[in-house]
Amino acid sequence: MDTTPLTEPVLLVLLSLAEQPRHGYSILKDVEQMSGGRVALSTGTLYGALQRLLAQGWIERFEEDEGPRERRSYSLTSKGRRNLRAEIERMRHLTKLAGLRVARRES
Amino acid sequence: MLVLYRNLLRLYPAEFFREYAGEMTLVFSQAQEDARAKNFMARITFCLREVSGTLIGALRQRLFGPNWNLSRRFNMRPEFRFPRSTVFLMCVILAGVVLAIDKALNIVQMKEGLPPGTVSAWDPMVWALLFALALVLTAVASVWGILFALRRTGMHRLADLDFGRNSN
Repeated sequence: MDTTPLTEPVLLVLLSLAEQPRHGYSILKDVEQMSGGRVALSTGTLYGALQRLLAQGWIERFEEDEGPRERRSYSLTSKGRRNLRAEIERMRHLTKLAGLRVARRES
Repeated sequence: MLVLYRNLLRLYPAEFFREYAGEMTLVFSQAQEDARAKNFMARITFCLREVSGTLIGALRQRLFGPNWNLSRRFNMRPEFRFPRSTVFLMCVILAGVVLAIDKALNIVQMKEGLPPGTVSAWDPMVWALLFALALVLTAVASVWGILFALRRTGMHRLADLDFGRNSN
């Protein structure tokens, strides 16, 4: 399992897909909404990230029954979900540690 | 803008283009519709983000392909964001500086008995802006040229070769 920290856009893309399968435009909007407008991905950045996630087997791509012919949807694989959980756990540990350190310093 | 975007997509490796160009164009046109409903600055930001994102994405695909580590921070830098308010503030400061120079020039001209407005500070300003625009366009054209030349060499096809198949 890869334990190195993910970049923020990749993490947000994975979080977007953790809830439900989404197509490209839906991921763009969801990432923007999740980050409160702070992270606005370009299509180039999004598809670069999606291609790498596909190549590493973290997500899978499938055709939709409805909608435009070009549209494809993406969903997390079990490997992707496992890695996302590991990343969240790493962040949780870091946040807990930061809270303890700051509290100790203040007391 | 859509035509420019489609042409920029051609800078990606052929394999990536075949796989994602249609989908990316669809997403781009949907995002463009959203941007049209927003103000002028938001539309400019959208255009700049898409052009730079596509150019950088194409360069990254040419150089690294899909097999780079997802955690390599230098590939995507969400922390490197230029605040929009700073752009507006810089424009106001620049306008203020040029206005001050213009007033000073008028005072000097009045002292020397020349009618005010004979020499204006705005004239060189226009040329400076045009020069900056030309510089940016040259930089974009250079990146385009490099990527186009790489594409013409057919280097990307080397990745499709399977040497193992011929080794038996």
